[in-house]
Amino acid sequence: MSNKFSRRDFLKLAGVGAATTAILTGCGPASRYVKREPYMQMPEYTYNGQSTYYATTCRECAAGCGLVVRTSQGRAIKVEGNANNPLNLGKTCARGQAALQGLYNPNRVRGPIKHARSERLYDAVTFEDASANLDWDAATQAVADALKNNKPEEIAFLMGMAPDHLFDLAADLAAATGINAPVRFGALGMYESRATLSKAAENLFGQSGLPLFDVGGAQVVFSFGANFLETWLSPVSYTRGFAGLRQAQTKMRGTLVQFESRMSATASKADEWLPLRPGTEALVALAIGKLAAELRGVTIPHAFATADPAEAAEKSGIELATLEHLAETFAGSEGALAIPGGSALGQSNGLAVAEAVLALNAFAANFGKPGGVFFSAFAPSQTKYQGPVSAQEMQEFTQKMADGKFKVLFVHGVNPVFELPASFGFKEALKGVGQVISFATFPDETAQEADYIFPDHHSLESWGYQRVATGPAQSVLSGAQPVVSPFYDTRATADVLIAAAQLAGGEFAAALPFKDEVEFLQSKVAPLMNEADGFYSAADLNTFMAYFQQYGGWWKTSDGRAVPVPGDALNHAISAEEAAFAGEGEFFLLPFVSPTLAEAGANKPWLQELPDSTTTVMWNTWAEINPETAHELGLEDDDVVKIVSEAGAVEVPVYRYPAIRPDTIAIPFGQGHTAYGQYAEGRGVNPADLIARHFNEAGDLAFAGVKVKIEKTGRKQPLSRMESIMGVYGAGLGEEQ
Amino acid sequence: MIKRLFDWLKQPLGMIAVGIAFLALFSLAAYGISLTQQPPAQPVQFTHKLHVSFGIQCLYCHPGAAKGPAAGIPSQEKCWGCHNQIQKTMTSELLKPLKDSVLSGTPLQWVPVAQVPDFVQFNHRAHVAAGKNCEECHGDMTQVTIAENPQVMNMGWCLNCHTETAGENHELLVKLTDCGTCHY
Repeated sequence: MSNKFSRRDFLKLAGVGAATTAILTGCGPASRYVKREPYMQMPEYTYNGQSTYYATTCRECAAGCGLVVRTSQGRAIKVEGNANNPLNLGKTCARGQAALQGLYNPNRVRGPIKHARSERLYDAVTFEDASANLDWDAATQAVADALKNNKPEEIAFLMGMAPDHLFDLAADLAAATGINAPVRFGALGMYESRATLSKAAENLFGQSGLPLFDVGGAQVVFSFGANFLETWLSPVSYTRGFAGLRQAQTKMRGTLVQFESRMSATASKADEWLPLRPGTEALVALAIGKLAAELRGVTIPHAFATADPAEAAEKSGIELATLEHLAETFAGSEGALAIPGGSALGQSNGLAVAEAVLALNAFAANFGKPGGVFFSAFAPSQTKYQGPVSAQEMQEFTQKMADGKFKVLFVHGVNPVFELPASFGFKEALKGVGQVISFATFPDETAQEADYIFPDHHSLESWGYQRVATGPAQSVLSGAQPVVSPFYDTRATADVLIAAAQLAGGEFAAALPFKDEVEFLQSKVAPLMNEADGFYSAADLNTFMAYFQQYGGWWKTSDGRAVPVPGDALNHAISAEEAAFAGEGEFFLLPFVSPTLAEAGANKPWLQELPDSTTTVMWNTWAEINPETAHELGLEDDDVVKIVSEAGAVEVPVYRYPAIRPDTIAIPFGQGHTAYGQYAEGRGVNPADLIARHFNEAGDLAFAGVKVKIEKTGRKQPLSRMESIMGVYGAGLGEEQ
Repeated sequence: MIKRLFDWLKQPLGMIAVGIAFLALFSLAAYGISLTQQPPAQPVQFTHKLHVSFGIQCLYCHPGAAKGPAAGIPSQEKCWGCHNQIQKTMTSELLKPLKDSVLSGTPLQWVPVAQVPDFVQFNHRAHVAAGKNCEECHGDMTQVTIAENPQVMNMGWCLNCHTETAGENHELLVKLTDCGTCHY
């Protein structure tokens, strides 16, 4: 029979039999049985199968958007925007959505650790975590000893741009005990050139503050390098403004013109994208001002007097006719607005660029009008804008560390070993600090260089508040509360500091006379009960705090924006020089912040998997090179090139991007981690490695003022990307396929 | 080759082989089906019969049925509320899993027997509010120890009851038989 009944027929019959059995059994309920664990103790407010929602504040960046997190049976399930919060009005960005993957991240630091510097915090192959080897009593004692056994001037706090309540706690402690005031820094603030923007406003209007641009109310928006739909200042709020620019029912569809050497995601939404030569932004802004003044037939303001449109056209690579037509658009509109930001300010002449662009607003006389320029409302109980330190101040801080001025350094909420360019030498400077104590939630590069890691809760497990620096018209304090119980043996840094201060006794204990973080928080929020114009009010503290948690913060109902006084802003002499570039190469380097990864998103697979909005590349770093340039250099997509600047070199695959100037190369910032967990480590490169220490007049890093060389390596590294592997051009790939 | 197989099957030996194969497949399938119909193993041999006989209402342990979509499985804390008063709890072999669970703080892993597929949005509350009693769907709990599912909970069964309830009321009939009532 065996010769008649072939192997194939046997398989067929066996397959039919197996399928029949599978279908018959699969139809039964047994295939659907699942195990369910009830609560050991059912919380009073929980019903089975019904979600509980908590209002809190996003800490993925420092903007302070309100969130409502859906939880089910004690687990956070979904993040949404808090519709009540005036900043984001119910919206979130991708980073906010991915906060959950931070909460459930497998590489979180699970308990207090003492370890040798540079020792890995998790296994390089299995990614198994280093086990916690201290208990919290020992950890608190270590912090208390560090406070008590060092002179006040030898103790330093380095903190991130969020959360504000912890910064306030450290600032209070510092003020009462004489230790160094906490310094706060963030890579986003550095690439936004925040310090330059506020300094320019101060120079022109004599008022300090963070300018707010009402994009939503404008008719014509000229943006000089401000990528406000991606990362700039408060992207969710500005994105809402952009929606208003386009879709308002009461006015015509507004126009956006973006001046930037590379087409960013913001430029891709613009009506006109003008790829000007890097460094010529000030020339172009002043030339437009001069031409607009001529068109309106008014006396040419002193600020624009020195401008030469023909020279600006020649140097910037924008045709004179285009400049004239732009000036016509600007001068002819009732609601013209000009925004300076990002890479345009991150150059040697960044301050002049910011002043030139703000002068355009002064010419448009849009101050305090819908669609114009304001100063952002100060957050509740604030009287002045508290920004992060500039890159130059960070360099001074690093120098003090290297000189051995600090015996102990506390680090929270920031990862300077990764976020600062390598040329700052932060990692080496840490050697000059006797004791480094990190409060990192994740095993990042800075935590790896610390002596102790006393992990803070994840933001979704934390109390706190965040002052909203810019975005809404009102004065807003976004409140944070835990949405789930802590998963691991972590402890709130505020609690650790309070407990350690009590343990250290004396003036430390007197500085922080609180039982715990919540009591401290209440002491800070309580004064708001007596403020006028509150979104809600309450007669007693408990009710007020209940509302604070329920609504996710406190804000005023009145417009708190200040109106800049133009004064003689137009008579201010503005330098119309081109920016100076550091380095030898023939290409301009434009490092830009990845809207999804930025300084801390790389350890979340959702964000890694999210295609970049212009190139669709995922999971890697790429260098954008114009196809013409690539052709001249004999480069194809995915060819690995070595990009060399005076500060260093990186090797990165090429992405031929038609929407970039032929003399410019752009690399996103966000990858290139050497620690930070299994999803982030060893992936891509950090363009900051190419940036040397050059600053503009306001102390911001001249990150866009670098020239680079390209060297071929002869290797290929295919980039994973959503679009066809043939790329935007398709053709010309025949031979290598 | 298949043709030769059929020729061979027509011979007496072939017929016998077909018979044996059919019987084997049939019994295998019958066994498979019977397996699916047996209640799954539970961590505790919980006797509903006994608890109901004490006069404990369904909603005492499954209060979610009156409030929301899921009736819910009671927390161990609720079991312990009574059982820590009962001396037998500490000695009984049958109650050992409960005792161990509470003392060690690890939840019991129950297996719900009355269940519908994920694409059905079933809500207890609406049914309780409409005056349905628990036993109409879940059977008489005074007769069973471990809960069993007395009927196949398929769409025909749901719709039978929905159309009967609607009766002559056409507006209600439309509401109760609309796809979106259960599948959304």
